Amino acid sequence: MLINRFRSIFAAVTLASLLLSFASRIPAQQSAVDVYAITGARVVTVSGPTIERGTVVIRNGLIQAVGANVSAPADARVIDGTGLTVYPGLIDAYTSLGIQQSTQQAARTGGGGGAAQPAQSPAQQAQQFSSLNPTQPVGLQPEIQAVDYVRPGGAEIEAARSAGITAALTSPREGIFMGQSALVNLAGASTTEMTLRAPVAMHVGFTPLRAGVYPASLLGVFSALRQMLLDAERLRTANLIYEKNPRGLKRPEQDRSLVALFPVLTREMPVVMFANTEREIRRAVDLAEEFNLRLIIAGGSESWKAADRLRERNVPVLLSLNFPRRATAQVAEADPEPLRILRARVEAPRTAARLAQAGVRFAFQSGAMTNMADLLTNAAKAVEQGLPRDEAVRAFTLRPAEIFGVADRLGTIEAGKIANLTVTRGDLFDRGTRVAHVFIDGRPVDLRPTAPGATAAAGGVNASGTWTLSINLGEGDVSSTLILEQQGGRLSGSIQGALGSAEIANASAGANGEIRFTAPLTIGGQTTEATFTGTISGNEMRGTVQVVGRSPGSFTGARPNAPAQQTPPSTSRPTEGSK
Amino acid sequence: MRIKMRRTIAIVLALSTLSALPLFSASAQRTGRSQQRGSQAPAASAQTETLIRNATILTVSHGTLQNSDILIRGGKIAAVGQNLKPAQNARIIDATGKYVMPGIIDCHSHSMVDAINESTYAVTSMVRIRDVLNPTDVDLYRELAGGVTTLNVLHGSANAIGGQNTVVKIKYGRPVEEFIFPGAPPGIKFALGENPKRTNFPSPAGQPRRYPATRMGVEEVIRDAFTRARDYKRGWDEYRARAQRNEKNLIPPRRDLQLEPLVEILEGRRLVHAHSYRADEILMLIQIAEEFGFKIRTFQHALEAYKVASEIARHGAGASIFVDQWGYKIEAYDAIPYNVGILVRAGVNTSINSDSNERARRLNIEAAKAVKYGDLTEEEALKTITMNPAWQLGIDSRVGSIDVGKDADIAIWNGHPFSVYSRVEMTLIDGEVFFDRQQDLARRADLERERVTLEQAEPNRAPASGGSSPALPRGRRPAYGHDDDELDGGDDQ
Repeated sequence: MLINRFRSIFAAVTLASLLLSFASRIPAQQSAVDVYAITGARVVTVSGPTIERGTVVIRNGLIQAVGANVSAPADARVIDGTGLTVYPGLIDAYTSLGIQQSTQQAARTGGGGGAAQPAQSPAQQAQQFSSLNPTQPVGLQPEIQAVDYVRPGGAEIEAARSAGITAALTSPREGIFMGQSALVNLAGASTTEMTLRAPVAMHVGFTPLRAGVYPASLLGVFSALRQMLLDAERLRTANLIYEKNPRGLKRPEQDRSLVALFPVLTREMPVVMFANTEREIRRAVDLAEEFNLRLIIAGGSESWKAADRLRERNVPVLLSLNFPRRATAQVAEADPEPLRILRARVEAPRTAARLAQAGVRFAFQSGAMTNMADLLTNAAKAVEQGLPRDEAVRAFTLRPAEIFGVADRLGTIEAGKIANLTVTRGDLFDRGTRVAHVFIDGRPVDLRPTAPGATAAAGGVNASGTWTLSINLGEGDVSSTLILEQQGGRLSGSIQGALGSAEIANASAGANGEIRFTAPLTIGGQTTEATFTGTISGNEMRGTVQVVGRSPGSFTGARPNAPAQQTPPSTSRPTEGSK
Repeated sequence: MRIKMRRTIAIVLALSTLSALPLFSASAQRTGRSQQRGSQAPAASAQTETLIRNATILTVSHGTLQNSDILIRGGKIAAVGQNLKPAQNARIIDATGKYVMPGIIDCHSHSMVDAINESTYAVTSMVRIRDVLNPTDVDLYRELAGGVTTLNVLHGSANAIGGQNTVVKIKYGRPVEEFIFPGAPPGIKFALGENPKRTNFPSPAGQPRRYPATRMGVEEVIRDAFTRARDYKRGWDEYRARAQRNEKNLIPPRRDLQLEPLVEILEGRRLVHAHSYRADEILMLIQIAEEFGFKIRTFQHALEAYKVASEIARHGAGASIFVDQWGYKIEAYDAIPYNVGILVRAGVNTSINSDSNERARRLNIEAAKAVKYGDLTEEEALKTITMNPAWQLGIDSRVGSIDVGKDADIAIWNGHPFSVYSRVEMTLIDGEVFFDRQQDLARRADLERERVTLEQAEPNRAPASGGSSPALPRGRRPAYGHDDDELDGGDDQ
């Protein structure tokens, strides 16, 4: 079984690298006109019926032709598509791909006249990062632009491409008004080359930033949002009045944070609000209704429970495929897990089918999952739970293109559209399907295997055990207990403590002690997803915590009782209950 | 490998179908219930009658009725008397040997909120409890099981002027919109003494101590806020006057969400619920209120209210208190269990509240204590958890007693509610059953079955390795929990 898997991975790598080396050998002057033809493939156009055996021609970054009777041009590099299926390039509808730096920190160091990074001149800094506007509370900076932060390349972008993703909405994840997102292709030498559309939407999260500074609670988050929207509306009105007749009027005091909200108030720009539970979603809809905003929900795990209001207000959902699952064993001494948690895990893969049935538009997003191999696996679970396959394809292609206003250039396989294509061996939603080729802007990209366990620790560091964590999110240390269980590259476990208790998800462990996992943390009454990245050395670990809507924090951990490395697993447990 | 995988998928599918069953039956029950209410249209539910038959009715407003019936139509009490004749399709609840009273009203609750305090500023009148309600809080169900139907969900007491409250009916299981008590006047939390001056609460690491730090400071903060509110109102009044004179080229003043609710208080459109302990600070707040021309609706906790009962009565405020909780901080030492009795005799509208998800389940017993200590009559004591809090929340024309025309918010007990041996059989809100003890008992087996099915579903199965360390038990609630203290590092009591 394992050998089979390795063989297939090997095949994929070889194929991809062959393709790439072929492409890279083409001289530069010719690369300006790249022509490819995928022949004899099943083509899921999304715009029309699926072509069972057809050809897609790509020229100069665009789809030139598609059809059953199209033949490959003489100057095209031909890819034999027998046994392959061509889809419009998959779009990840909500990520922070390419954004490495904390927007809050960048703004603080870049603009406030503070210490600039030594590698860059102040002018470069000023060009890159908009400075923090001091007239608004920290975390309420709607003027922040994702494109100012996106950098091409990197392991995360590679992992997403290898999972079949060609384009992604990328947005800063810190703050309450987090800033404005960009839709980017996951290939290109520069941010400009990557950018498909920017700005796309305003992003809002409801997590208070830190204790002691308003807004420090969920209560304050709502009033701060409300006051700022009111202030923006007033400035807009004042500007209109002043422009009409300035005589006798004091000129309105401008504020670039408020100005950045004008397109939101006029409904030109949609607002993406991060909301997962039913009540978070209903609150977001209430707020959007109050200010007549064009709302998009991101997350949406319980969105089916609010489907009535979402449909009524025509609110689309960027639905996370980062499904929760149990990661620890149940032990007789422990409290049983609450029914609500058991239900939520079982319900999560059903949400997509329910939204489709209720007529709520949705697009898939990876939900900050750490192992991108779960993306298609989890989409397949949604299909198994009753989501029609064509709806599932749409949720990865045309729907996000529509929601982000680029359906005229992206999201289907039609002549004239951007040549973003995802080519698989097998149907996209069959388990065991592999991504064979990915074309972005008409060029094939390098694929890396994403199978879990491929880089598994073999006799390396073992993360298993009970760890005492000390988590610092900018408000002093908070302690939690982290229980980990590692099997090869697979990591599972749970976290319990002052920030709530939950199973960890999307966990992986590397050979040299690198670990990654996500867990929902409860901060200030709001549950929010945190991504832990760190390394283990001996019985200590340290790393960083990324929380949606916050500046990155750090954590350290210690393991009082290391796992017995060489002890074989005991086959029979003592049967205490037998008396 | 493939065969194995297929089998796994098949098992997953089979299990997930199974696990869907209880959910289906739950939703079927729900539709069943609504069909019971009205078979043709949603509006038809208003037509269906319910008859509670042959009960001992504690009306609160006009004594105890023996062997009497309550007829409910359209969510309202349509008739109270003997041998009432219901419509053909009416639902009959046989209450022979049972005691029926109006649903209990808790005038100080922090149930169903995801945040209690915005403790950064001394004045946080801009924050709204309505924004952070959590209708899935299981405490709500427990409160229904204690006969409670209405809550005054308050902001915490970290600020001299705190956030805006929300009055809800506990329509557990419904979307949050349906909880909001229709037409209840808006209110706000104030707080005096140790909590707003942050005596017992360290400031967050690296933060300076928040102003005010003394009772003088608290008074100043309130006076300052209302002075600003008065100016703010004047600014808007001037703008409106100029707009009315058709003056052109006017830019409206800024809307200030902090001051708007204070203007509503000045205009008598928002009820003030003031957390307070000491007699001197109660007098201080009465003075400020009278200086600015508004009224305090309730003094919450008010353990020393008995010392200034006549002054409170003269001002026209109510008191919402504990019967025998004290000594948990310095300002809570000078308390007596006769507080209720003295206040009621002085003519102060007095209610007994919980300020605790735990105590909220047994407010009937708290009221019974007032009979022992304060020599209240049974009806006077019942009023402290029904009619009186209804007045304090401005909803006394809708709830608080069993009278024709009022909302059918009703608790049915198996014995007299002042007995510790009694328990609630059924709780109705607007004529609909939201707690039914028999149904609860019957449902337990279903939930157990659902758990077994869910635990076998793929996402709930433990990883193959079986895990090594036992999961830690979840933190358990102490018997005397005060919600603010636990959830928010905040405070209230």
